[in-house]
Amino acid sequence: MAPKYKLTYFNVRARAEPTRLIFAAAGVEFEDVRVAGADWQALKPKTPMGQVPILEVDGVMLCQGVSIARFAAKETGLAGKTNLEQAQADMFVDEISELLPKLAGAVFASDEAVKAEKAKEVDKMIPEKLGRLEKLSGANGHLVGDSLLWCDLVVFNVAFNVENYKPGTLKNYPKLTKVMDTVKANKRIADWIAKRPETKF
Amino acid sequence: MPSYKLTYFNGRGTAEIVRLVFAAAGTEYEDVRLEQDQWPELKPNTPMGQLPILEMDGTMLCQSNSIARYIAKLAGLAGKTPLDQARVDMVMDGMVDMGNKFAYEIYYEKDEDKKAEKKKDYVEKYVPQFFSSLNKLASDGGYFAGDELTLADIAFYNMTTMVNPYLEQPLSLDGFPKLQKVEDNVTSNPGIAKWLKERPETPY
Repeated sequence: MAPKYKLTYFNVRARAEPTRLIFAAAGVEFEDVRVAGADWQALKPKTPMGQVPILEVDGVMLCQGVSIARFAAKETGLAGKTNLEQAQADMFVDEISELLPKLAGAVFASDEAVKAEKAKEVDKMIPEKLGRLEKLSGANGHLVGDSLLWCDLVVFNVAFNVENYKPGTLKNYPKLTKVMDTVKANKRIADWIAKRPETKF
Repeated sequence: MPSYKLTYFNGRGTAEIVRLVFAAAGTEYEDVRLEQDQWPELKPNTPMGQLPILEMDGTMLCQSNSIARYIAKLAGLAGKTPLDQARVDMVMDGMVDMGNKFAYEIYYEKDEDKKAEKKKDYVEKYVPQFFSSLNKLASDGGYFAGDELTLADIAFYNMTTMVNPYLEQPLSLDGFPKLQKVEDNVTSNPGIAKWLKERPETPY
C-alpha cells in the first residue's frame, strides 16, 4: 500500500528537509519525490502556488514548506503539547526561516560580486538570528519544553547549512549546540542523515 | 479569562493581523502603542528584541504570525481540522511571501528606475498570477478553509490592504470573484467592521 504522505520537492534539503526530518523522527513512512527539468515544468501548474515543496495527503495538495512541516509535526505529535507550547515552537520557526533562502542565495551565487554582497548580508544575519535563538532556547537540548519538537528539527536543518557555510559557527552558541547534538543523537534521525541523498544544500 | 496585552508601535504594520483576529474573535485586549523613544528600554526584555509581542498569564509571545495563529486557535478561527489548519497556514505563508516580495524588491529599492520596473512587474505579472492561484484555493463562498471565516481570509485582506497605499491604484480583484467574496466576508464580519471604523488612523 502506498504511504499516506507524498512529499515532492527538488533534489535538495532546503525547504523540504524539515518535513523529511519530522517523518524520519516519528518513524512515519512517506514518499520522498524529487523533481527537476521537464517533470517539474509539467507539475508546476498543478501546484497550489506554482511552487514546491508540496505534500499530497487524503486527496489534498498542501504547499509552503513551513506549513507542510507544521502539519507533519501535528500528525506525528511533534508540534507541541499545548497551544502555548505550539506558539513558542512557532516563534523559533518564524525567526530562523528567513535565514534559509538568504543562505542559499550566498551559497549558490555564481557571480563573485553578487556572492560577496549576499555573503555580507548573511554574515550579519547569522549572529543576529542565532543570538536571539540562543537567548530564548532551553538549556536541556531542546528549544522548547523537554522533548523533541519540530522547531528543533527546523533549526537543526538551517544550522546544518550554516556549519557547512562557516564551520565552527555553532560553537559560539552552547545551548543551540546542545540542541543540534540532541537531534543528531536521535537514532531515527541519525539513520535518515546517513541514508539521505548527499546534496549541496 | 486571561488578560491580553499587545504591544507594538503606533501603526498597523506587522501587528495589524493580530488586531484583526482579536476583532473577529470578539476578544478584549490592551492595544499598547509605543513611541519610538519608549522602545529601547523594553527591547532587551522581549523574547527576540522585536515587536509585536503579546503578554498574557506571565508569558510573552513574539512573531506576529505565531501570535495571530495562537489567538485564532483559541477562538476557533485557525481551521477546524489539521488539514484545514494546514490550508490556513499555507495561505498565510503565501501572503507573507507577497508582502516580502514587495518590501525587498520595491519598498527598499533605492534606484528609482529599478523600483518603477519592479513595481510594474509586481502589479502586472506577479500579483495577477498569485491571485489566480489564490482564487482557485478559495471556495465559492469566499473562504480559504472550510466554510467560515479563518485567519487565512483575514491574512489575505490584511496584506492586500497593506500594500495598496504604496501603489498607484489598489490591486484589482477583477477576474477573481472568489477573492472579492473573501474580502467581503472579512470586511462584513461584525467585529472586524467595527474595528475598521474605530481603529486609529496611522501613516503605516
